[in-house]
Amino acid sequence: MDVQAAGLVEQFKAEASRAGAVVYEASTTEDAANYLLKLAQERNIKSAVKSKSRVADGTKLRKHLENAGIEVKEADLKGWIAQLAGEKSTEQKSIKQVERLISKATGKKLNPNPRVLLNAANLAIRQYCIDADLGISEADIAIAETGTLVIVGYEGVTRLVAVLPRIHVTLVNSQNVVSVLEDVIAKLKLLTENAACQTMPNYITYITGRNTTADIPGAVLARAQGPAEEHILLINKAAERNAS
Amino acid sequence: MSRAMTKRVHKALTDENLQTALTRLLGLIKFVRQIAFAGLDFESLSQEIRRVKENSIANLPELVEQFKSQATKAGAVVYEAEDADDANKYILKLAQERKVKHIVKSKSMLGEEIELREHLEKAGIGVTETDIGEWIVQLAGERPAHLVGPAVHKTIEQVAELMSKATGQELGTDPQALLDAARRTLRQTYIDADMGISGANIAIAETGTLVVVTNEGNGCMATTLPPVHVAVVGYEKIVSSWKDAAAIFRLLSRCTAGMKMPVYISHITGPSQTDAIPGAVLPGAGGPEEVHIVLVDNGRWQMRESEEFREALYCIKCGTCLNVCPVFASVAGQVYGYVYQGGIGAILTAFLHSMDKAEEVASLCLGCMACKEACPARIDIPRMITRLRASLAEEKGLTLLNRIAYRSILKYQPRLDNVVRIGSHLQQPFVDTDLMIRRLPGPLNELTKAISLPALSSRPLRDRLKDYSSPRPTGKPKVAFYSGCVGAYAYPEIGEYVMKVLEECGARPYYPMGQACCGAPAYFAGDVETALSLARTNIAALEEIRPDYIVTVCPGCATILQREYLNLTTSEPRWNQRARALAGKVCDFSQLLLELTPSVPKKPSRNQKVTYHDPCHLRRGIGVFNEPRQLLEREGFEVIEMADSDSCCGFGGHVVLSYPELSKSVLKRKLDNIEATGAETVITNCLPCILQLRGGLDKRNSRIKVMHSAELLADTFEITR
Repeated sequence: MDVQAAGLVEQFKAEASRAGAVVYEASTTEDAANYLLKLAQERNIKSAVKSKSRVADGTKLRKHLENAGIEVKEADLKGWIAQLAGEKSTEQKSIKQVERLISKATGKKLNPNPRVLLNAANLAIRQYCIDADLGISEADIAIAETGTLVIVGYEGVTRLVAVLPRIHVTLVNSQNVVSVLEDVIAKLKLLTENAACQTMPNYITYITGRNTTADIPGAVLARAQGPAEEHILLINKAAERNAS
Repeated sequence: MSRAMTKRVHKALTDENLQTALTRLLGLIKFVRQIAFAGLDFESLSQEIRRVKENSIANLPELVEQFKSQATKAGAVVYEAEDADDANKYILKLAQERKVKHIVKSKSMLGEEIELREHLEKAGIGVTETDIGEWIVQLAGERPAHLVGPAVHKTIEQVAELMSKATGQELGTDPQALLDAARRTLRQTYIDADMGISGANIAIAETGTLVVVTNEGNGCMATTLPPVHVAVVGYEKIVSSWKDAAAIFRLLSRCTAGMKMPVYISHITGPSQTDAIPGAVLPGAGGPEEVHIVLVDNGRWQMRESEEFREALYCIKCGTCLNVCPVFASVAGQVYGYVYQGGIGAILTAFLHSMDKAEEVASLCLGCMACKEACPARIDIPRMITRLRASLAEEKGLTLLNRIAYRSILKYQPRLDNVVRIGSHLQQPFVDTDLMIRRLPGPLNELTKAISLPALSSRPLRDRLKDYSSPRPTGKPKVAFYSGCVGAYAYPEIGEYVMKVLEECGARPYYPMGQACCGAPAYFAGDVETALSLARTNIAALEEIRPDYIVTVCPGCATILQREYLNLTTSEPRWNQRARALAGKVCDFSQLLLELTPSVPKKPSRNQKVTYHDPCHLRRGIGVFNEPRQLLEREGFEVIEMADSDSCCGFGGHVVLSYPELSKSVLKRKLDNIEATGAETVITNCLPCILQLRGGLDKRNSRIKVMHSAELLADTFEITR
């Protein structure tokens, strides 16, 4: 990482911490997985939901927690279907195959109609998010100026995973730290072009530190209606690649 | 002034719970403002917001088209509502068609404006406000008391009672326990709701994106969990680009909560969607299947058409103007009687609601300009209030009393002199030996309840300065002295000191005999005709001997001479030119003295503590606040800063006459701050402020002296009149 980029990461860490987040710089994906597991065990977490991640091998991360007896549900639809199928990657499936998987998971015999299947999946995943103690997200961009995470998604669950559980952990590739707020849109355009989808992602959530309220007289209180804790795991992908 | 408003003001001032809550709020605001702008170039950031909003409103028709087309492309449904009724009907019909039983709503001032919740509830649909403050207000059956903190007027005991009743549990007054209960209760309502309603802080045209900002996280949940999301958005929220939105983020939360960024900013571009199910890209993936955007006019386009009031649309609803408003600090937001409070509230009310209500709201304005100084969109709220009063006066005519006072007396200086002379005779039975009036008969006694008044002088300044009608023939700088009415009739001795000290310091002061009232009382009451006539009189009188300086002891007058005469004469180029020449010469006594005697060394300490009160019109009107302090320090006085030295003393506007009780409450905070310094003397270079402070301290039997710099210097120079 060059000096300028390192400076941005330092600034991001300082600003995010000041806003109430806990920031950890992981040297490798394994290191990040260990941090996550330790945190989950210390907080006595039984179940987690996770939206898709590119920065760390999501499946590996999930397995790491599952091996320790923590239930982890993939919350984005493709990830969940793959999890149901027990596959690592999301290979093309027929509607019939998807119907079988979702019917099995929900314990209901469903019609192989896309809308019916989507509604059933929505209900199931939403309940996971409501019940989970831990949400694991990935931020596509982080803003150094303000210590802000930018979480991008087409599905509503990207937001539910970030807000509903008691503890929220966000993974960020430290190469994706930009300097100022104005840099976000250029980076977003780059991301969406690379993803070969030309439209703006429906849900982009900026999260800065820990949620608070001043509405109850007497004090400014942390944990208003969102998570009690915000953790940020910075992963330096370039360094990791060079090392391996 | 209205009876109903007087009643509401009285109720607020005597409501112990409210006053307790306000004390807490003021502490919080102070803390927030201290940390918010540290190390920040507020001026350039606010200029940036100003630029963004100016451009957005200027290009609004094109931006609306772009926003509609992009949002529609992303799968949202956009509806343009003409007014409140139109918007409410659309949303109710949608809710009924979708068989909606319960709605969660995140905070929206526009929602309050159009009374959306009430409309839906009347049709039998349950609506829960999800911002905790807004929820508290809903439980209390009230309206929000502040743009940003709806429940700032509540005490912890009141909140505990409301939440206990709502949850059916006996909750104590521990804030954390109350918060936990609120979170649990609200969490279930999101899950159960069939529709989520939000406002939008910003709408971005280039991508058709709604931006919803919250610190609590309620905005995220209310817009994601229910299957239908409806956003009510005022047209003025539309900006061109993500870059423009960034400029607003950068100051918004600093202003509202002292935070660099809001905790959650949700960008919503059409409904959620997925291609995970083979065969189709479907909307409604873990989020709403439908997003409806209701763009609401309700008077906004008309406001855009108005040269004079257009800038009210630049408001980003951060509430800063309320946080610095001395009236808000005394009575909070519910006295205003409508959704939008404070100075900006008066303007918004005029266009989005009614002129009558707006007049009430505007009547509470002290004209202290604290809002203008603090506004992150650089909105000149005081200017618009003056314009609003002018259009009201034009529309309804002046009251009979004002008409006589302004057009038959104030306008003609000799008549005013005669009226004051009569007054000085009539007052005799009520004047104490120290020339103070502490009690007046009948309804006039309202005035002397808050402050003791100075007796009108039996020898006005004009009679005392007959020898000074023109400058002495020497080469020294010519200084025209403009005394203003308080200087002419209440404190003529201060004017005499001004002349003597200026002579002592190497100037040739003189008193232009043709000067009259500056016109401020008429101008601020909306009587532009009288104000313009007085502008001509004074311009002619003051320019006559071609002074090098025009010195004033009333910053209110100075602001009028320096700025408002230019505004008043815009349609008369020759008068405008003369006003401009005059404006450059107007200065405060302290400024002038430093300029006349730049090389005087600092005097040894006198071991005398003084504190300095910044008059609103001196600091924010003509930008003078260092010079008076410099002068005092140079003369060997120890200047102890009081808390909030630049907050209004309560004399401003017509408040001191219309709502003496309110004026007294604003004055109380000022006097407390003065007393807390331990200084023996408070200096202020404004005669109306002196009137208010002396009057208030006299009621407290305080021994603290209130003086103008000129008096203090005359004292130290051992000058006698």
